[in-house]
Amino acid sequence: MKIDPATKKQITKNVALSLLIYALPIVLMFVTFSVNGQKPWEKKTVKKENIKSIINKSNITNGSND
Amino acid sequence: MAATIEFIRKIIENLNGYGFPVLLLFIGVLEFSFGLYKGKWPKNERWVDIACFIVVPLVVRPAFGLFGLKVLPALLPAYKNLFSWVPVFWGVAIIAVADDLTQYWYHRLHHQIPWLWRFHRTHHSASYMGMAMANRQNLIYTIFFSQVYLTTALVYLGLGVPAIIVGVIKGAITTLAHSSIPWDKPLYKYKVLHPIAWVLERTISTPATHHAHHAASTDDGIGYYKGNFGNMFFLWDIIFGTALITRQYPKAYGISHYRGDQWYAQLLWPIFKSKVEGSELAVAGPMVLINIDKEENAHDHPQVNENKPALVAVQI
Repeated sequence: MKIDPATKKQITKNVALSLLIYALPIVLMFVTFSVNGQKPWEKKTVKKENIKSIINKSNITNGSND
Repeated sequence: MAATIEFIRKIIENLNGYGFPVLLLFIGVLEFSFGLYKGKWPKNERWVDIACFIVVPLVVRPAFGLFGLKVLPALLPAYKNLFSWVPVFWGVAIIAVADDLTQYWYHRLHHQIPWLWRFHRTHHSASYMGMAMANRQNLIYTIFFSQVYLTTALVYLGLGVPAIIVGVIKGAITTLAHSSIPWDKPLYKYKVLHPIAWVLERTISTPATHHAHHAASTDDGIGYYKGNFGNMFFLWDIIFGTALITRQYPKAYGISHYRGDQWYAQLLWPIFKSKVEGSELAVAGPMVLINIDKEENAHDHPQVNENKPALVAVQI
């Protein structure tokens, strides 16, 4: 299928703009983390270790569910 | 505090589960009570609406469930809950954009690529707006709902709570945009509310903008089936230049050349075909027929639509 140059240009512009919009909330999130000095992904690891240490065999998941 | 959060979480989860069928039923009863369908719910259309309402969730929900519970764990076993550290606020923003922008393009392509139009046609064939037609879709169109697979993948990666929150908000906005109750009318009527209307109609789908998308004609300057594709956010139409805001409601809805295709053809085309001669869903039917105003006699001269598909016109 032959696409005329104007349509091709429009499609390229729309794809680029869409990718920018998809990335926007992720970029803004990391900018916020950077400004506030937060590293929530590190917290998750610590929390996980603490949970594992207090879960015993009476738990229905036997501590295997994360 | 933890108990309060758990309570709110349960309310949201319930809303996401059986809450929407109840909301649909409640608004539907209101619509019928106020006579908003104006007697426009013919027997054939009733069958289409009811078949779609029952069959589509019965097939589609297990398919989406299978994808989330079997396919993703098999494909990405190490990635389950990988991003569960993402704060709820940012998770909501990520899913809202990912889900709704994907749906905008999925929806827009079904209007602009002639080959895809017939999969989406069922949603537009109703000559009325309201809860009766809100879930009216071809099964194939729904099963390939690309944004649901993307959102399911994000849930698998750990964004479950944000997905539920977005689901509730999006469900409410899209349901109310399809409703025949024009809840946005007072915003246009009273001058003091105009600033709110200005922001709202550019941000989310409203009855005025979404009804225009379902109009039978574009000739009155109100109907605009060639645009207003946004589902939750209307902002995509503003950004990508497909918006028309008039603050008015079209006089007629649906497809002007529609002659009542059977429910099974509308639900399961191309597996089942329509018996209506010359229909887009009939055996050897045209990909796209011209959308002629309902007032005109369109029986004798079906034509190629040069307006509805933006890319290609197909010879009958």
